[in-house]
Amino acid sequence: MFNYSVRRLLTAVPTILILIVFAFYLMRLAPGGPFTSEKPLPPAVMENVLKRYGLDEPLHVQLFTYIKNIVCCFDFGPSFSQKDRSVNDIIAQGFPVTLTYGFWSAVFVLMLGIPLGIIAALRHNGFWDYLMTGLAIFSQIFPNFVLAPLMVLLFTLSWGLLPGGGWNGGQWQYIVMPAIALGTSYMAGVARLTRGSLLEVLNAPFIRTARAKGLPERTILIRHALKPALLPTLTYMGPVFVYMITGSVFIDVFFSTGGIGQDFIDGAYSRDYSVLLGLAIIYCVLTFSINLVLDLLYAWIDPKVRDSL
Amino acid sequence: MSRSFALSALMLSTALSTAAFAADVPEGTNLAADQTFTYRVLDEFSSFDPQVVEDVNGSEVVRDLFEGLYNQDADGNNVPGVALSHEVSADNMTYTFTLRDNAKWSDGNPVTAGDFVYAWQRAVDPELASPYAWFMELMSIENASAIIAGEKPITDLGVSAPDDTTLVVKLSQPLPYFDKMVTHATTFPAPKWAIDAHGKEWTRPGNIVSNGAFVLTEHVLKERSARERNTMYWDNDNTVLDKVVTLVIGDDAQALTRWRAGEVEKTEIPAGQYPALKEEFAEEAYALPRLCNYYFTFNTVSGPEAFKDARVRQALAYAIDRDVIVERVLQGGQFPAYTFTPAATAGFEVPSVEYAGMSQADRDAKAKELLAEAGYGPDGEKLAFTYLYNTSEAHKQVAIVATQMWKQKLGVEVELSNQEWKVFLETRGNQNFDMARGAWCGDYNEASTFLDLLTSPSGYNDGKYSNARVDELMTEAKSSADAQPLYTEVEQILADEMPVVPVYHYSTNMMLADSIQGWPVNNVEQNWYSKNLYKVSE
Repeated sequence: MFNYSVRRLLTAVPTILILIVFAFYLMRLAPGGPFTSEKPLPPAVMENVLKRYGLDEPLHVQLFTYIKNIVCCFDFGPSFSQKDRSVNDIIAQGFPVTLTYGFWSAVFVLMLGIPLGIIAALRHNGFWDYLMTGLAIFSQIFPNFVLAPLMVLLFTLSWGLLPGGGWNGGQWQYIVMPAIALGTSYMAGVARLTRGSLLEVLNAPFIRTARAKGLPERTILIRHALKPALLPTLTYMGPVFVYMITGSVFIDVFFSTGGIGQDFIDGAYSRDYSVLLGLAIIYCVLTFSINLVLDLLYAWIDPKVRDSL
Repeated sequence: MSRSFALSALMLSTALSTAAFAADVPEGTNLAADQTFTYRVLDEFSSFDPQVVEDVNGSEVVRDLFEGLYNQDADGNNVPGVALSHEVSADNMTYTFTLRDNAKWSDGNPVTAGDFVYAWQRAVDPELASPYAWFMELMSIENASAIIAGEKPITDLGVSAPDDTTLVVKLSQPLPYFDKMVTHATTFPAPKWAIDAHGKEWTRPGNIVSNGAFVLTEHVLKERSARERNTMYWDNDNTVLDKVVTLVIGDDAQALTRWRAGEVEKTEIPAGQYPALKEEFAEEAYALPRLCNYYFTFNTVSGPEAFKDARVRQALAYAIDRDVIVERVLQGGQFPAYTFTPAATAGFEVPSVEYAGMSQADRDAKAKELLAEAGYGPDGEKLAFTYLYNTSEAHKQVAIVATQMWKQKLGVEVELSNQEWKVFLETRGNQNFDMARGAWCGDYNEASTFLDLLTSPSGYNDGKYSNARVDELMTEAKSSADAQPLYTEVEQILADEMPVVPVYHYSTNMMLADSIQGWPVNNVEQNWYSKNLYKVSE
């Protein structure tokens, strides 16, 4: 398992390099640059600005300098739109915010989604099953861009229970709505997956054998059925979790959290190449790391997977 | 130089009014116990460095943190800031400012003329590469252009400090409105010692040293910033607000919800909601004139051949019913435009251009006539072109309404094309369009900030309109004591040749809690200073 982990980490390096090169050139293909504005800069001013940010160099030199700065100093370069800040500053300030509400959103998804799925499976075709199905449909009808304004209208405007947005150092009042708005549809997805998978496992021959042996239903569920039933949920949660902790543009914009989700879209609109590249790298590293953790979890859950590593 | 100008320029001494420096609180006002003003901004600020900041919201903060030579009063007139007065030499090429001796930085150091010299040299320094370096060129400061181009050292800039309270500025050409330009953030002083000590991080809370009424105490990227009273500020005794907080809220509708919830006291009104909000909150919904115009620009160089004919351009301009666009489409208190320069511009008298005085029915009839004369329309060649705008619901609505008007009244076929902002700018800047949307907000409150845009050498003249007489008049205006007749002639030429179609002049739509008093509603640049505001108890 250790060798497998090392191998995976080593293959990540060339993949990230390829991503950097690809993203770097792709961004430059877009018309307009970071300093294209409604009031175009006079040529001499533009020349000075480009020189200051190293954008007057040939593209391959810019790319080499960028990679060199990351490798030697973990320096993602300056932001072109927030002039007193580096990309490191932006990520250092925004990422903990995104990570925090993403984490609580994932907790919300798992803590509610899995039990709901289990209950629905155990009370198959009963009230709880219908309730869970209803919730799943509800969350599809009310995606986060509908749910969030509704929550603000209720919890902020009508009842005055929670602030309408902001972060304020991450106090719990400011986390509740972003976490729920971000997680609701995933929670329904987890519940549906858990239900379906658990139903399938509960009908499997080895469960029938366990029942025939007279094992209590609770033991069958916890010790034999739940682990394999959660495999599809794990697969589902991998990319979802990456998405959650790398930020949602909508959540960041709507709740003004200050997370890095909004930087993706701001970076794209303002052609802030270094912010976009920095975020792409962060996204890539997180995807790799979480997928590795998931694979290891798979191996822990399923001996067949473990043997194949 | 005209005789009257020469006479008036003779050692003109300008002593500005010493009234209305800070909050003008009427007697008997019941001030709120908590003097905190919280408002919403759409985006994160570009910078808090006066020589680097380039966005409107950032400049608002910088005006609180730093004080330049002059401030503006509630009507947009200059009032003393660090400078008490100035004198202009006979040739109108040298300005000598007398600075107050009681101005201090937030760390207790005195604010001196040398701080301005340092800041202005910094603004043109190629090494800093300020995106607003061009403003120093626009101010015609001696050698600014050469320094920006790297041809001269920054010490050659035409600004000097013979002593701590005297600042001398030499210009490369006379500029009658020069003093209006020193309220711009780029011209604010900078603390060399703090910049040397902290480098690019000098604007962070804790590092920043400023000379304005407030100091920066908190800044969380993309979420909030706070500035609190600067006890060292020379007029701190007359400042009422204790704290000003900005919250970044990227969604207009959500910002309005938070205004309703009382979380912010000022926010912009989402497009189209002004009439309803005005009815619901009569005292708190504002539509204020703004120093910006909205126009359609013809590509007169590489656009359709028809656009080279002034009659075609006039016909298209006449057929636009601006009242419909302003009152039915935008509904935000905008003003129909028949001249390029907004009526709100200081010292500008709107010339009576012929088509502005006609009824819309007459304009429509004239439009048909002009188009037919040019050989287009039902009995002539078919006129068709593409209209380019950047992605926005409001721009789209204006485009649809305008093209429908052209189609119904003149039979002109227009294809709409929208592009993402930066792509649009590049397309328009490279003249890859037939007709495109344009808008311009004045950099200072004087008509030339608009009219210069349509001169041949202007880098912002995307339609590449060129008229030697316009160029000549605008050059003459720079050294004329009374530029109004020149501006009137330029506007008349523009109305005759119609290189652009003025559509409307902007308004500022905002919700401002009635507890916040002292807002400069008559300042068309919307240059507001927190030190002039105060909060009354509800």
